Amino acid sequence: MASIAGTDMTSNAEAPPVVGSARGSRGTLIALSAVALILAVVPYVIDERFGYHIAIMVCFAAIGASSLHLIIRTGHVSLCHSAFVGVGAYASANAVMKLNLPFVGGLLAGTLASASLALVIGPIILRLTGKYFVLITFLLGEILRMVFVDWIAVTGGANGMTGIPAPAPAFADPKAFYILALAAAIFCIAVCARILSSEIGRFVNAIRESEQLAECVGVPVIRTKIMMFVIACAFAGFAGSLLAHYGRYISPPNFGPIESLNLVIMNVIGGMNTLIGPLIGAFFLVLVPELLRGYVQLQHVIFGIMLIVVMAFMPGGMAGLGDILASLTRRFGKRAS
Amino acid sequence: MLSNPVVLGQIVVNGLSLSSIYILVALGFTLLFGIMRVVNFAHGEFAMLGGFSLYYLYAVFKLPWLLAIALVPFLVALPALLLEWLVFRWFYQKMFQSMIGLLGLNMAMIYTGLIVWDAFERNIPAAFDGIVRFGGVIAPIDRLVTIGISLLALAGFYFLMVHTRWGLAMRAAAQDVDIAATQGIDTRRIYKLAFVVAIGLAALAGALYGQIYAVSPFMGERPLFVAFVVVILGGMGSVSGAALGGVLLGFTESLLGTLYGGSVAAYASFGVVVLLLIFRPWGLLGKPE
Repeated sequence: MASIAGTDMTSNAEAPPVVGSARGSRGTLIALSAVALILAVVPYVIDERFGYHIAIMVCFAAIGASSLHLIIRTGHVSLCHSAFVGVGAYASANAVMKLNLPFVGGLLAGTLASASLALVIGPIILRLTGKYFVLITFLLGEILRMVFVDWIAVTGGANGMTGIPAPAPAFADPKAFYILALAAAIFCIAVCARILSSEIGRFVNAIRESEQLAECVGVPVIRTKIMMFVIACAFAGFAGSLLAHYGRYISPPNFGPIESLNLVIMNVIGGMNTLIGPLIGAFFLVLVPELLRGYVQLQHVIFGIMLIVVMAFMPGGMAGLGDILASLTRRFGKRAS
Repeated sequence: MLSNPVVLGQIVVNGLSLSSIYILVALGFTLLFGIMRVVNFAHGEFAMLGGFSLYYLYAVFKLPWLLAIALVPFLVALPALLLEWLVFRWFYQKMFQSMIGLLGLNMAMIYTGLIVWDAFERNIPAAFDGIVRFGGVIAPIDRLVTIGISLLALAGFYFLMVHTRWGLAMRAAAQDVDIAATQGIDTRRIYKLAFVVAIGLAALAGALYGQIYAVSPFMGERPLFVAFVVVILGGMGSVSGAALGGVLLGFTESLLGTLYGGSVAAYASFGVVVLLLIFRPWGLLGKPE
């Protein structure tokens, strides 16, 4: 962690204002422990095996959404994040099944594969901002999906890969895997929170507000953006690797544009301005489909409409609901007095 | 292989018909962006609605093909005004929100389509069979009709934009909405007009595309992909750029698709886009921002 926070403090790395950082880290700490607590309780509330499955899916979604949040915080919406999850999943599955590496090797291979692809492609596409970035990541997501389908020797083509081994025989049980997934999710969220509350986090916020202005005051804009992109994609690959060894089966539709869009929806519906947003979104997007079981298509219609409504009327998402309510009560309070 | 006139002719005719469809899709996309600053991620779904309209009018209700294809843009664009009122108007001049919001619309439309029509592909029966020979070159008539209809639509679009007061107003609004409004242009109406034109073009393109391939709720994906590539090639908001990008992409795809197969063509077009983004991120004809 120290290395990530320390790399870019080039000239005068002054200590950040104490109040801000203390408040920030206390807030994230509270949020993190709340999330950990809920996650630890959820599987006991819902019945047994199925509950664990849902909880594991929440963990995966949380890793995907919070890592994507790092990119979104720079003001860039990536529509290919789940394609990077796919890169990690396929790399890990290949490393374990064809190179006979242990699970940890696969996890490393998945993370590295996704990160190095991001490192190659990031400097190219991150020159773009706003709309062009969204368009190019959409295209990239489609292209990667086509690669998953066409590169049969490595990915098994449209049939996907089956028989991916569990991390260890003990982890074949969802109960045990849940601990692993929860630890992974907490690790990922903690890293994201630490990055966002560090000086780099301030760089990121400055870049989102105005790239030119950030450049002017000495923020290494493109370097910071690439770093965020690579870290986010590394986590995506990490999640992909876990996903592959949990589900034991992967195929191209798992990593298609709809899945990428879902990760964006988690950020948007939850709220794009804080790390809590994607976590709320991850819960929401995994749990609501369980309520709408059997109406898979209707679910997507509803999420689509929610996306429209949130974007049109409450850009802060659910995390911003508190602010909206506060301002409403203030306004009505004023009127009443 | 390229010295064979049959193959060459096929590449040219396919290239022209693909190009003309792509231009229709990209024109509407770039028009919406140029005037309303809206990135229409649901553009492909309006193409899908166009495909289904032609399917119903021609294959189910047995209208004459030319009448059916002429009705398609209106049948899609006029009811779409309801969506303009419900959805699009909230996103005018808000580029970022529009992208995400309209992604939502895109998803809602795909899955509504799935609920209504199921996932299986429907074929629109060929309207014209037979071929025409120019010397050694053989051209199927339906492809030529596709080219002809697209050209007609493009000519109509050009006439509207360049020779009418509405077109003038649209161009003015594209340059600066506020100043256009102070000059007495009713921008709300101009937005609606531009919306109808853009959606109509997308619907027409979707109908022609569905005629060549097949109609299904997922068919909008390809036109959307294409619209993105074309506007990145040509520069967003640039009409001539959309035309140039459409021709480039259409011919690349036809040439590589005929020689090496469809996915090679898609990879190549993506590669070209990446190269272009490295050297000219504002597009071939766009202006740097």
